[in-house]
Amino acid sequence: MRPSNILLIIILFFLLLDSALYLHASRLQATLRSDHAVQAIAVAGLGLTDLCVATEARYTRHPALSDAMAPFMDHPGAIEHFPSGSFWAAPADKNVR
Amino acid sequence: MIPKGLEKQLNILDFSLSSLWRRKLKNISIMLVFALVIFLLGSFQMLTGALTQSADAVLRNTPEITIQKMSAGRQEAIPLSYEEKLRSIFGIRAIIPRVWGYYFDESNLANFTILALDTTSMPSGNQLDRTLSYGHFPKLTEPGTALLGGSVHEILGLGKRRVFSLFRPDLSLKSFEVVGLFSGQTDLLTSDLIVMNLDDARDLFAMAPNMATDLCLYVANPAEIETIAKKIAGLLPDTRVLTKSQIQKTYQVVFSWRSGFASICLLTALVAFVILAWDKASGLSPEEKREIGILKILGWETADILAIRFWESTLVSILAFIIGCTAAYMHVAFFDASLLKPVMVGWSVIHPPFKLLPSLKLADLLLIFSFSVLPYLGATVIPAWRCSTVPPDSVIR
Repeated sequence: MRPSNILLIIILFFLLLDSALYLHASRLQATLRSDHAVQAIAVAGLGLTDLCVATEARYTRHPALSDAMAPFMDHPGAIEHFPSGSFWAAPADKNVR
Repeated sequence: MIPKGLEKQLNILDFSLSSLWRRKLKNISIMLVFALVIFLLGSFQMLTGALTQSADAVLRNTPEITIQKMSAGRQEAIPLSYEEKLRSIFGIRAIIPRVWGYYFDESNLANFTILALDTTSMPSGNQLDRTLSYGHFPKLTEPGTALLGGSVHEILGLGKRRVFSLFRPDLSLKSFEVVGLFSGQTDLLTSDLIVMNLDDARDLFAMAPNMATDLCLYVANPAEIETIAKKIAGLLPDTRVLTKSQIQKTYQVVFSWRSGFASICLLTALVAFVILAWDKASGLSPEEKREIGILKILGWETADILAIRFWESTLVSILAFIIGCTAAYMHVAFFDASLLKPVMVGWSVIHPPFKLLPSLKLADLLLIFSFSVLPYLGATVIPAWRCSTVPPDSVIR
């Protein structure tokens, strides 16, 4: 067998795998759409503002309601020490008090 | 019948594959490391993109204006008397006080979010039962009742028990009866929530009856949100006024390359590629030079030798790109991004299940492609071109 034929088989394998993943993504998207409709009701009915991703610190649990200084407010000269803080960028609007 | 030009390229491709296979250990190692870096970048991008998309999809109905009282740079309870002041502003449709805060459960080291408000005055308040797997929201006539998020129920280890207790600030116990549980469909928002009556929340937090944590405002004309927010900021200078658009903007930028972890990922990838490029650009091995010399003596042209090197680098980098991106998708979709999740949730005891659709944007794929494949192609083809232009006899000797 020519080496290029083996390469073709490898490429076909990935093509099949990625097609299967594409189908999976389409099905997951349909499921998530119905989940999002229920989540939107929870957001409206409870006035929620944030995703429940990291619950260790108030500024990662509710970044939308926290100000930029919140990570450094424990005491004068405090440094941000929660691991999840490294995943989050600074708040969007620095003009907010 | 294959056209002659294509047949030539196929033969060169065969030769390149054989050449790669001769140094299989080295090439497979490069490809795997390459795929690993792409996997890391791809996983981060797909996970954060999925969270951003989810936030965008579900946080469209956040309160139009949220007012928090500030003192010495910190948020503190807001007096309900501020409601009266706000009524002087024309265009405000509803003012809903909320009591909410965090409860640290010392036995499980978990942080819960306690939330209390009059849900009947909220938009979609009458549909809220759709968010529950069973039960109902605590009613005003049912003091001492609570509704739990999935993770709270699990961490408290309630099983079939319906009663649990929380400590007040003075360490006296307050008991609650569970009257409902949030559906798993809303875990991304409600996993750590305990919803209760306003009076119960004030009692739990030892908050005065005339105080609330913040005020949610809804306006008659959504086009006037910003104008009304400015008027509120003028009327109540000791408050922070957050509008719906500011809240929605947060999640558009909060997961980005500017965050510390993402910068580390990106820097690692860049350093890896710089080392690779430096290694390649510093010259070919004597064996590779000899091979090029022999090919030239056998009559191969410079263009053919460049084509071999081009095919070799293209195969290694494109295969690594496909493997890395496929693995990244599977990592986020099937394994809950389990390698990134520990960093993302940190010391959180509550680990809400991530049911996310990995974000696959063409722009992100092109970014990863141009960061990885293009430098590799440049770093391998240029030294080959330099070598293939020298006289073959000087290379062989």
